Amino acid sequence: MNIHRVKSDLVATYRTPSLADKSLRVVEDHSGNLEVALDPVGAKPGDFVITIGITAARIAAGDPRITTDLTIGGIIDHWSEERWRD
Amino acid sequence: MRIFRVEATLVATARIGNLDHHRLLVVTERGSGSKQVAVDPVGCKIGDWVIACGSSAARDAAGSKDYPSDLTIVGIIDYWDEASPGDARAAGASGGEVRR
Repeated sequence: MNIHRVKSDLVATYRTPSLADKSLRVVEDHSGNLEVALDPVGAKPGDFVITIGITAARIAAGDPRITTDLTIGGIIDHWSEERWRD
Repeated sequence: MRIFRVEATLVATARIGNLDHHRLLVVTERGSGSKQVAVDPVGCKIGDWVIACGSSAARDAAGSKDYPSDLTIVGIIDYWDEASPGDARAAGASGGEVRR
């Protein structure tokens, strides 16, 4: 699992049925690389979140049939920019 | 399995239901120094050197096949005498005892 910061929402109306109607967010890691994560939690832009990868991402999405390789698992209560960049 | 050092505990109140109440820790990988988050079913303290496994073994190690973890701590290293660069505490530990 990794720590990411939510950058923005992502709207993709035309999508594969295996993504269902799940929310998507653009997240960035500590070095600024952007990725797209599925969000079952409801994170807002600016929130620091825990992201779950590989096959566990599909379980975290709530249904192993959903095709994702990155899912937000939780919103971190206290985390600072400095600790993240360090 | 890879070797990590425990940096901090992580509090995330708003979390998905199947993450349960398991403890989450920020860990730093030996060598690369990259930070990751691991599930801790063992009970580690900050500063402990630990071994953690990834992929589907991480799910099993966290207690069930349906647990959504991609990195789970599976053991605390009793003796570890190879200090990471700049780690004065581990470097000064005589006999390699780094566990507090």
